[in-house]
Amino acid sequence: MSRFFHAGDSSSESSSSDEEELYSEEEEQSEEESSEEEEGSEVSSESESDDGRTGAARFMRDVSDSEESEDEDKVTIVKSAKDKRLEELEGTVRLIDNAKKINDWAVISTEFDKMNRQIPKLLQSGPIPRLYIKSIADLEDFLNETLATQKVSTKKMNATNARGLNAVKQRIKKNNKDYAKEIDSYRSDKDGYMLPEDEEQATPAEKTRKPKATFVPGEDVGDEEGFSTVGRGGKTLQYTPESILKHLRIIVESRGKKNTDRLDQIRVMEKLFEVAQTTYQKIRVLLTLISTRFDLSTGGTSYMSQEQWKSAEREFGVLLQELESNPTYVVLENAEEWEDDDKQPQPAAGERFRVPGSIVSCVERLDDELTRSLQQIDPHTAEYVERLADENVLHAVIVRALLYIESVQKDPKLQVPQESLNRIVMRRLEHVYFKPSQVVTILEENTWKSIPENIDSTIANRETGEDTGALVRALSTYLFAHSEGIIRARAMLCQVYFLALHDKYYQARDMLLMSHLQETIGSFDINTQILFNRTLVQVGLCAFRAGLIYEAQTSLQEICGSGRQKELLAQGVQMQRYSQVSPEQERLERQRQLPFHMHINLELLECVYLTSSMLLEIPLLAQTGSSPDIRKRIISKTYRRMLEYHERQIFTGPPENTRDHVMQASKALAAGEWKKSSEFIHSIKIWELMSNPEAIKNMLSEQIQEEGLRTYLFTYAPFYDTLSISELASMFELPERKVAAVVSKMISHEELAAALDQVNSAIVFRKGVELSRLQSLALTLSDKASSLIESNERTLEQRTQGTANAFERGGGAGGRGGRGGARGGRGPRTDGRGLQGGQGRRPGGGQFTGGALGGAIKA
Amino acid sequence: MADNTPTSAETLLNGAASQAPKTSEEIVKEYDLLPKLISHFDRHLIFPLLEFAAGQEEERAEEITKTKYELLKHTNMTDYVASLWQEINNADEPSEEFAKRREEVLQKLQQYVDETSKITGLLDDEEVVGSLRSDKIANLNYLKEQHGVTIEMVNALHDFGRFQYNCGSYANAAELLYQFRVLSTDNDKVASATWGKLASEILTTNWVSAMEEVQKVKESIDTKLFNNPLAQLQHRTWLIHWALFPFFNYEPAKDTLCELFFSPPYINTIQTSCPWILRYLAAAVITNRSRSRNTGQYQKQLKDLIRVVRQENYEYHDPVTDFIKALYIDFDFKEAQQKLGEAEDVLRGDFFLVASADAFVDSARHLISESYCKIHQRIDLKDLSTRLGLSQDEGEKWIVNLIRDTRVDAKIDYKEGTVVMNHPASSVYQQVIERTKGAFFRTQVLSSAVGK
Repeated sequence: MSRFFHAGDSSSESSSSDEEELYSEEEEQSEEESSEEEEGSEVSSESESDDGRTGAARFMRDVSDSEESEDEDKVTIVKSAKDKRLEELEGTVRLIDNAKKINDWAVISTEFDKMNRQIPKLLQSGPIPRLYIKSIADLEDFLNETLATQKVSTKKMNATNARGLNAVKQRIKKNNKDYAKEIDSYRSDKDGYMLPEDEEQATPAEKTRKPKATFVPGEDVGDEEGFSTVGRGGKTLQYTPESILKHLRIIVESRGKKNTDRLDQIRVMEKLFEVAQTTYQKIRVLLTLISTRFDLSTGGTSYMSQEQWKSAEREFGVLLQELESNPTYVVLENAEEWEDDDKQPQPAAGERFRVPGSIVSCVERLDDELTRSLQQIDPHTAEYVERLADENVLHAVIVRALLYIESVQKDPKLQVPQESLNRIVMRRLEHVYFKPSQVVTILEENTWKSIPENIDSTIANRETGEDTGALVRALSTYLFAHSEGIIRARAMLCQVYFLALHDKYYQARDMLLMSHLQETIGSFDINTQILFNRTLVQVGLCAFRAGLIYEAQTSLQEICGSGRQKELLAQGVQMQRYSQVSPEQERLERQRQLPFHMHINLELLECVYLTSSMLLEIPLLAQTGSSPDIRKRIISKTYRRMLEYHERQIFTGPPENTRDHVMQASKALAAGEWKKSSEFIHSIKIWELMSNPEAIKNMLSEQIQEEGLRTYLFTYAPFYDTLSISELASMFELPERKVAAVVSKMISHEELAAALDQVNSAIVFRKGVELSRLQSLALTLSDKASSLIESNERTLEQRTQGTANAFERGGGAGGRGGRGGARGGRGPRTDGRGLQGGQGRRPGGGQFTGGALGGAIKA
Repeated sequence: MADNTPTSAETLLNGAASQAPKTSEEIVKEYDLLPKLISHFDRHLIFPLLEFAAGQEEERAEEITKTKYELLKHTNMTDYVASLWQEINNADEPSEEFAKRREEVLQKLQQYVDETSKITGLLDDEEVVGSLRSDKIANLNYLKEQHGVTIEMVNALHDFGRFQYNCGSYANAAELLYQFRVLSTDNDKVASATWGKLASEILTTNWVSAMEEVQKVKESIDTKLFNNPLAQLQHRTWLIHWALFPFFNYEPAKDTLCELFFSPPYINTIQTSCPWILRYLAAAVITNRSRSRNTGQYQKQLKDLIRVVRQENYEYHDPVTDFIKALYIDFDFKEAQQKLGEAEDVLRGDFFLVASADAFVDSARHLISESYCKIHQRIDLKDLSTRLGLSQDEGEKWIVNLIRDTRVDAKIDYKEGTVVMNHPASSVYQQVIERTKGAFFRTQVLSSAVGK
């Protein structure tokens, strides 16, 4: 709660000591455990930690407790019960007197507390009972006496008594301070004091007001006059430039307390700002004001109202302007607080005065609040769009704050931590990376328009703002060079995301692979993991647009194949059938959700994933279907499951959704009807969401033609002796050269037992290739035997940690890996995250970037 | 030692790329790697490349002379620079400046000779050399105590070696740097001396010792720079480029260097920072075909090469890598044949590859026919001959040789003018035997290992 202020610790300390005290109290007086007990104990504890600073805290609590628990419901019966109360008081006083005689401090302490509780009720109906004054005055005297005797003779008192004595000692001093005047008058004339009781009761109207007023503000009225009057009367006259700092201090100290009226404080500060004259005052007021605004919305679910947000944003702008125009003052996190409220700091010429506060945190908070509100507003309403417009403003604020921090950092004397600059650069990057470049260009243009001409940045200046690619590059390069750990990783991911979004597949892929994040991403925080998932998906989509079906499928596999896309991309909470998540987890998950405008279209994602899976799976199914001995490889379980489900249906209607389209297309492709398949795929509407739907469709048609040819060959090869290439070419509307190339490739990879006849331009299928059941089983058996040996060897190697390197593994492994390698990684997948094309570069790249990152992660 | 060339040289050559339709000359120009290579060589190593370029293209001779002048301006080869200057400016007499430079250089030379005379004298002394051990520190102590040699004197050797190298007397430089390395314990200077010696050995075409130096540099990169990945990358890039000299000029180096280039750190370096090296690697692998008896290794290298070419295709391609792609990735034989023609031109215009152009074409033909035969059952002789770029008679001869060499099961039907291939399907029994062949032996090894 108190991220910006230091005042928080004193209150937490006292509250913890409250508890301790309460505990001892309870032990002692277990018979009297009522809710009222607490108040008494609080009073005692606070008197213990009475250092003047917590004055406001004590005051706040007293008011709240007494008002809530007692005043309100009993005010009505005050008149009739007054006498009864006085009687009660008398009884208590008598008990105290009795106890005094036998020196029983435990009883005295209890009764004293009780008496103090009775007093406020009595005060509402009349002046302080003289009896009470007499009693406490006597008690104090007696206490002093006892203490004096006790010093002489130790060990006389038992533990309970001693505790009681101490409690009374602490409380009575405090208590009696408030009634010092009365006590004095009593002491000066012990007998006479008790007499005029009735007389004074005749003028209760005036008297009652007064003590109440003195009590309500709490025990030490000292410096709180200003506040109490505002609370009741709201007079503005007393805000003078001199008292601004005092007011601020009060407000700061009341932070985090119960029942603080923050709106009221905000109003006060708005007025304070109006009267503020010097820069220092203005800065102080603004800093407090902004953070108080943030305090308005606490808890994970509520968000700041737009109006408040806007004012905070505006005030932040004013603050920055103030700071820009007065370079003498800087706002720094590590600055020391200026303790003297009466005097203003007078920085010497050439020196820069540091005001404690944090620009970066304010920006971050503004950003977070906007995100939070966007999370909760229904994205299909006008409100959302309206709110989204604030993003422009926010971006401008971020850039401006960035410029400020940058300029401050140039002064080496100030020792601005690099980290704060990194944080703000990261924020800026996070507002840019997911947007298409046209949007970013407009955004940047508007931003720079709102910033005075004379300020410019070295990280990313005005000119780079015009070229979005350069902007993102500049920002992330800056972070690579200056940050480490999570921020560096995030910067990397943001850049990869941006590259992938702008169809730079190879660059994106290389960066992603060189970053080695796949290996370490598990150790990052969840938000970064989500960003990683998003990036991975975006790279997959980019590969798809580039026509690299295999790469697209492998990158999307992990996210889309899991069936938990929503959760993994933080784009909605998945409904759990058997709810294992605790409400707490669910709340956290809701907090992580991305605002709607950052979403990646899930339907499009599914469509891309299924289409690429189809293009890979259908030929594979045809291949394994014709020869049962090949190990059943499954590329996408999700796709297979859907296909099976689809095939089980008795009646299939015309396709309705994306999934149906892909499934029917798959069926057609499997049957060799590529045209139909391509039609189905083309009629999917969601392609329109891609930037160039026609090109995508053409690419898909070509892929379908080719894969259709392969599927056809796999499926119908056993039934032919020869096949003419020209016939195939006309069938699949491909050039003969292409058909020949596809067939050659299949022959060369030993997928097809055939050879080409150049003279007749035909495919000649070899005979006798089909194996009998026994033969294929024998092959499987031998395969299994050799893999058994291999796994044995591996186990032994692990056991001995490679010391018994008796095996030359090259021979055995070479034969097996051969086929997979030749096919360019279509073999068994070693890495779930795919992108095998670049696998070879990993080890080397590892020394390149992974080393540094690895080190950072450890730190 | 490995200072970069002035940018002017690079820009001069870069500007020369032309856009006209492709004749063989255009192709050569388009795929000229000189601008890319140049930034990774030492000044002195670039010189032979420029010399070669001048020999290739007469019309650009003047331009190249200028480049040479720019290149060597900062070296101590004043006489040659002066003559270059004369050539450029058509002057009869070299300008005053050069005479002055010359004087300075000579003075400095004399100074170095004086400084190092004692230590070189000592090192020439049989007796002294005989009493040196393998321990550097002990040697230094010995020399210090017995002959009053100081560290400064040793370091002077390094500076003198460098100076000699700058003057163009590489043999002397190599000798001096060798002596320095024997004595010095300063790691940085030793590394620099090693680079210097490598350059000197290359320039004196002393390939055996150059290979030794390559090995030494490689080790020092691995051991000294292991905590600085960026410098490691940079140094490896240099080493790869420098190693091109022995690679294509010294037969025995080929295998070692091929292995070096295919080792994970170096193939990664190639992929990351200098993909154009793939041309040389591809050429080397393909030409290795006829020589290397070890077919297993050859197949493996080829496979690696195909993989890398495929991966880097988006970043770098030239006729040589395109040939690989057409033949092994797309199986487009027509394309492969066309690329082979282009590749031949490129090779003839490349300083490093010019000598192996014929071997490359020969091996490439082999590769084409090999995979062609593997896929086809019946091939028209005439067609195959044109595909290989040969006349029909030559083609027939070629096929006969091929059948004999590779023991393909094939026959020529003379009347039809076809070759008939016979691809026997590998028998199932054979497959099972093949797969279980090593099992017994491996199990035995395993059980004995467990027994230990």
